[in-house]
Amino acid sequence: MNLEPAARPETAEPWARTTARARVLQIAGSILPIAISLFAWLIAGVNPIVVVLLVLLPTLLISIGTVGFILKGKRGIPDAALIVMTFFLGAFVMVLLVSVVWSLLEAGFRALSPQFIYQNNTYVTPTDGLEFGGVGHAIIGTLLVVGLSTLITVPLGLATGVYLTETRSNGRGFVRVILQAMAGLPSVVAGLFIYSVFIVTGISQYAGWLGALALVPLMLPTISRVTEESLKLVPQELRNGALGLGASSWKAFFQVTMPAAKSGIVTAILLGVARVVGETAPLLLTVFPIAGTNLNLLSGGMATLPTYIYRFVALGFDTSVARAWGAALVLMILVGILFGLARYISRPKSLKKKKVKR
Amino acid sequence: MAETSSPAPVRRALRVKPATREDKIFFGVSTAAGYSSLVLIILILIFLGIQAWPTFAQQGILEFVFGTGWSNAEEQYSIGPMLWGSLLVATIGVILAVPMAISIAYFIEFMATPRIRRIATLFIDLLAAIPSIILGLWGLEVFSYVGAEWGQMLNASLGFIPVFSNVAESFLRTPFIAGVVIAVMIVPIISSVTREIFSQVDDDLIKASIALGGNSESTFRRVILPVSASGITGGVLLGLGRALGETVAIFFVLNLVFDSYNWFNILEPGGGAIASLILGQFGEATASEVSALLAAGVILFLMTLVINSIAAFIVSRAQPWNNR
Amino acid sequence: MMSKSKDQTFHLEAKDINVWFGERHVLKDVNLQFPSNQVTALIGPSGCGKSTFIRTLNRMHELIPTAGLAGSVLLDGEDIYDNAVDPSQVRLKVGMVFQKPNPFPTMSIKENVISGLRLSGRKSEISDELVEDCLKRASIWNEAKDRLDEPALSLSGGQQQRLCIARSLAMNPDVILMDEPCSALDPGSTRRIEETILELKATMSIVIVTHNMQQAQRVADKTAFFLADDNQPGYVVEFGDTQQIFNQPVDARTNDYVNGHFG
Repeated sequence: MNLEPAARPETAEPWARTTARARVLQIAGSILPIAISLFAWLIAGVNPIVVVLLVLLPTLLISIGTVGFILKGKRGIPDAALIVMTFFLGAFVMVLLVSVVWSLLEAGFRALSPQFIYQNNTYVTPTDGLEFGGVGHAIIGTLLVVGLSTLITVPLGLATGVYLTETRSNGRGFVRVILQAMAGLPSVVAGLFIYSVFIVTGISQYAGWLGALALVPLMLPTISRVTEESLKLVPQELRNGALGLGASSWKAFFQVTMPAAKSGIVTAILLGVARVVGETAPLLLTVFPIAGTNLNLLSGGMATLPTYIYRFVALGFDTSVARAWGAALVLMILVGILFGLARYISRPKSLKKKKVKR
Repeated sequence: MAETSSPAPVRRALRVKPATREDKIFFGVSTAAGYSSLVLIILILIFLGIQAWPTFAQQGILEFVFGTGWSNAEEQYSIGPMLWGSLLVATIGVILAVPMAISIAYFIEFMATPRIRRIATLFIDLLAAIPSIILGLWGLEVFSYVGAEWGQMLNASLGFIPVFSNVAESFLRTPFIAGVVIAVMIVPIISSVTREIFSQVDDDLIKASIALGGNSESTFRRVILPVSASGITGGVLLGLGRALGETVAIFFVLNLVFDSYNWFNILEPGGGAIASLILGQFGEATASEVSALLAAGVILFLMTLVINSIAAFIVSRAQPWNNR
Repeated sequence: MMSKSKDQTFHLEAKDINVWFGERHVLKDVNLQFPSNQVTALIGPSGCGKSTFIRTLNRMHELIPTAGLAGSVLLDGEDIYDNAVDPSQVRLKVGMVFQKPNPFPTMSIKENVISGLRLSGRKSEISDELVEDCLKRASIWNEAKDRLDEPALSLSGGQQQRLCIARSLAMNPDVILMDEPCSALDPGSTRRIEETILELKATMSIVIVTHNMQQAQRVADKTAFFLADDNQPGYVVEFGDTQQIFNQPVDARTNDYVNGHFG
């Protein structure tokens, strides 16, 4: 018997052969409802949502169901219904989500210009056209406030992650529960807390550093959790190797474990920051937005991107809303950069040769 | 030979304790950090509790939670309509979001080709990252008019059902619109969790179902869904928690009414949400109002705490059949 | 009427089966016949295509990405790969028991037995008598009869596998394919399942893939020996009565394998 492997023939997938009949039926079954719906919408002038719900959906169900019945008998009908409902519901929400993205891009880009990015809003009134003023001060404000918060939270979060993985303390389970409780803290309550501790009691006026404080409980659980998970991924053998060579726990951690978990830790930080960069409520309760640029975190008002958006939407004028869209786009770009960086850093890497430390 | 039973060897305690001074610092700092979260949360709870207490003491918890009306003049504060409003809007959001989220997850996991799966997953993850204020902006400026139109048509056709009745002649700023905005906000979260759960369903079970003659629909309904049920519930509760804590988006699109409950008229322009209440009233709050707002914050925090705990419990309940 | 004794001898026959995964040719020119009321064992070293082959018999093969096939599989004279044939109809007649027991975890024992009927839309056939009958034929009625509403996972591994057999029996198939059904089980359960197989062959045809040569000798009427050389597709070296394969093999390689010279 000739045992040499033979090449795979063209016809190697007999199950994929669809008869011409089946293909025609499937195409007709899909096109017909769409055609009827388009007719109802464009020519008969029926309201689009009514067309979608009362014309497109039923006709799709009937027509694809019929095709299913013809091709597969009774068992084909539920399958057809599943396919139609999956596509329909999925498409429905995707249309809404795409609408969000589309509005953001369209309205946002209209407001965007180099001047919009770096100028602030001193002497600009809400009804001024978009060629005046910008979000420069808000960008700086966001960077400052979030930056300060990151400075406070990151060491705390990293150390907590270390505590949860590297020590054998008995309190660890409890701390995890606490962190999960903190993750559920509504952002407005975090802001309210800072407001009542510092502002109501008169310790401070609205100021940037208070906003930074309010963001801490919102960032901390994310950073701790992701740090803990990254550290857990480092195999115990690595640590044992260092300890076996006589290193102290401290050295073992900093020279072996942490470098191994480096990308995970950086991702943790980026994700934590990305989460709070768009937080509005806590900042509204602690930082007073102003029109000019203020670099002082300790006193004075400070505009941030989310509060900027809020304020200009609340004003209600066409021009101010247009500004808000511009700021929203800038905010989204910032979030996108952070997430993109996080994904890039945490992508699966091929093995790299580590430089031997001498 | 004298028979003596030798005592069992003394068990030595093995303890891992930091030995060198370096290690002591290392462990000390880490432990301090770990406990700092504890301290922070306790501080928050204590402070909120202390400041909120006067309101509870003066008004009585029941009256505060279930009464109506929020007024500075009379110093009478109740979050009843706001509490109910939060639940109502969140419920609408979840009811709308769940079928759509499961559909997306099913499509990505079981129907899409690998390349489409990667793109779709990326897209959904990106949508989950959109800050809620941007969704609020969209809700107010873009969707409100569409939603009002839908509300009007619902009312025109099904207005005899009390849920869809409307006497105000305006369909803007209704719980319905707020519910749809919330739904759009939480679909990506629920979808991601569901997709993750679907991917963990034991392939052997699906093979068994097909080998028994099951088609896609019956396999999904009788095998995949039951096995995924608790995981999906966890994801839904996660979305619910987020919906309850949502502040700005609801504030933009919903008309807050403090004096009366809007129980079911989702097409009427009036409703409530605790978080939005806090946002709206803190600015010119008198001392007693601040206390009342803090009390509202306490209630809100307790609600999200309970929901998150239930979610964690449901998800962690032993699922021996999952791959993990 | 529960257990149908077949008036007609039907025939499951594989003709010139060739299998590819992507461009790789993994099975070459397999020709085997599986008459009714007979147990056929497929033996051979790991990786030579036995499991792949039986998946071509109930159209589970096509679910694997990059799968390719040439040849035909005749069930009662009709090619199951014909255009007009619905794969799920084939699976109603050709059942399968997998290597790792896979009862549906959210269902009770009773619900598992009838799960196939529910999944394939044959709800009218569901009855308590059917459940009892299938559990008896799978030799697990005594252990299950007081626990019908308990979760299926409360059973031991061997019991779960017998439950899976009962589940397949409820579909009243003509053929049951078994892919190393006992390899994950203890010897006691293995023995019970082998007894079950011998009882079942009165009403159906069974094709069993096994690594255990003693098992093949215990249960099988006929045996096919598969082999694959390095980078070559798998093929059937020899196919015949079990006694002959093990005691007077025609091919030298068969002789080597059944005498344990390689595994």
